[in-house]
Amino acid sequence: MTKITLSGVNKSFGANFPVIRGVDLTIDDGEFCVFLGPSGCGKSTLLRMVAGLETAYTGQIQIGDRVVDKVEPADREVAMVFQNYALYPHMTVYDNMAFGLRQAKTAKDEIERRVKEAARILQIEPLLDRMPKALSGGQRQRVAIGRAIVRQPKVFLFDEPLSNLDAALRVHMRSEIATLHRNFPAASMIYVTHDQTEAMALADKIVLLHAGKDMLKHGSIAQVGKPLDLYHRPRNLFVAGFLGSPTMNFLEASFVAQEPAGARVVLKGGEEIVVPVDGSALASGAPVTLGVRPEHLAPVAAPGAQTLTRKVSAVEHFGEYSFVYLDGGTPAPLIAKVPGDGGVKAGDSATYQAPADCCHLFDADGLALNHI
Amino acid sequence: MASSPVARATGRVAVPVLGLFWLAVTTVPFLFMVMTSFKSQQESFSSSVWALPEALDLVNYNDVLSGPFLTYFKNSVMVVVISVLLIMLISSMAAFAFARMRFRFNEAIFGLIVAGMIVPIHITLVPIYLMTRQLGLYDSQFALIGPYVATSLPISVFILTEFMRQIPKELEEAARLDGCGPFAIFFKVFLPLSGPGLSTIAIYNGIMLWNEFIFAYVLTSSTGTRTLPLAIWDYQGQYTANIPAILTVVTLTSLPLVVAYAFGQEKIVKGMMAGSLKG
Repeated sequence: MTKITLSGVNKSFGANFPVIRGVDLTIDDGEFCVFLGPSGCGKSTLLRMVAGLETAYTGQIQIGDRVVDKVEPADREVAMVFQNYALYPHMTVYDNMAFGLRQAKTAKDEIERRVKEAARILQIEPLLDRMPKALSGGQRQRVAIGRAIVRQPKVFLFDEPLSNLDAALRVHMRSEIATLHRNFPAASMIYVTHDQTEAMALADKIVLLHAGKDMLKHGSIAQVGKPLDLYHRPRNLFVAGFLGSPTMNFLEASFVAQEPAGARVVLKGGEEIVVPVDGSALASGAPVTLGVRPEHLAPVAAPGAQTLTRKVSAVEHFGEYSFVYLDGGTPAPLIAKVPGDGGVKAGDSATYQAPADCCHLFDADGLALNHI
Repeated sequence: MASSPVARATGRVAVPVLGLFWLAVTTVPFLFMVMTSFKSQQESFSSSVWALPEALDLVNYNDVLSGPFLTYFKNSVMVVVISVLLIMLISSMAAFAFARMRFRFNEAIFGLIVAGMIVPIHITLVPIYLMTRQLGLYDSQFALIGPYVATSLPISVFILTEFMRQIPKELEEAARLDGCGPFAIFFKVFLPLSGPGLSTIAIYNGIMLWNEFIFAYVLTSSTGTRTLPLAIWDYQGQYTANIPAILTVVTLTSLPLVVAYAFGQEKIVKGMMAGSLKG
């Protein structure tokens, strides 16, 4: 059993700097869970609390059936891969991987067997006699993962393991970490990143964390769920804005009426949009925010139902697709992500349709209204 | 901001000129010392100070080496080696605690130890002399080790603490996850990684203690226990001094340091830089 349970976990640095508030979370047996959030949201702190490297907190952390709040890091049956690899510079790759096993007084032939097996899995067998300084960034990261594997932990902890690698290597190592998860199906994995692409690609479950005032107001956890659930059904404006690139377009609107197809809202430009959500609790004229992702805005020839017509302020071409920036009367321009060159240029007037099932509606408190 | 061409040209001239000036300042006394050690006492008075020796006369070396010089040398080696090893062990353990452990009054205690650097050793001479007598250590080589270690610790703790603060926190955390307690973290991770810092304090203290005079003068009195800096006293009377013999002693005393520098120049410079630059 490697289920990890965090109950009512809070942590502050000093008396006045809360970093984690009210975390209740369960990570299931063998699950790949990603802690995602902006800088300063406490995701690494939360991971380090599971590792036992941060101790002064309230609440309870359980790994399997055991409460581990007072258990030393080495006895928690966890292994951690650090952002800067944290390889011992004075030891060879072999000794780095064997160090933990030697500390645990594992038999010499068993250490050799495990290190060689891990080296084979990670394809670092020719590097075993090298010192860390003679390795590239990707090789170092492999060794750091190897050091975790040989301990055969119940839980793997990754603290932004790819952030020091270049973009191409990051994609490659990402797939290797996914393979690692498949190779060790019994082990639970917790992975910290601020990169939503990594989170979407790897996670069985994403835990998106609030930072700053949102954390103080709503607690640390913004939303927990499968990656596509967070993408398609964000619980609030923060989640909706955090996931997706470019970020979701937000338009101020007023609630008109609840209809069988959903809530009808009117935008500042006068267009009426129907969003398939339950707005029955809203009063007529109540301020709401309409959310629609750039990739869901489809160009259409003429204004009609569910359409927005705006002046094009700029177009960025990326070959396969283009970003069309629309002057929406909002502080941030509206963005439409369209195939090819977009067929428009700056100064044109363009019309885009926002399909009803791709629209989101948020009340005045920023909470998403439930889809019907 | 880029420097102007005039400033660059001035720099190109000034740096070598200053370098040559400093070379002269440091080399001239050294040459004087070595040259005079080959002169007889009479020649040293009759010839010009800067005149080369008339012949490569080894009589001073014979005199010095046939005297108690080797006993002083053996005493110096023993006292310096034991002292430096103790300084390295104690200061590295203290530095680890100050750099890595969180406990009450950490900074205050560190500040007090470092403040020890500003205490002139001369004001400690009388109490140390009395304590040494009371401990029954007076006029033994061991009388020197305690004061040597104690007076060297402040600078050594300071250098090593700064050095250990630069070692990434993650290495300590990785070691904790690998099952290390504080002692294993210190001996298996921090001590091996502190090599450059340890070299710095070994070199610095080794040179200082090799040349140390005042404690050796106060705490030892017999030929069998004295160290090299006191050897020159053997060649100095109340009204006269055998200058060539004294400079022979000084030459022989500085020889181990010169040889060590010649062979380990790169490591010594690296070690001395280690305290100031992040590895």
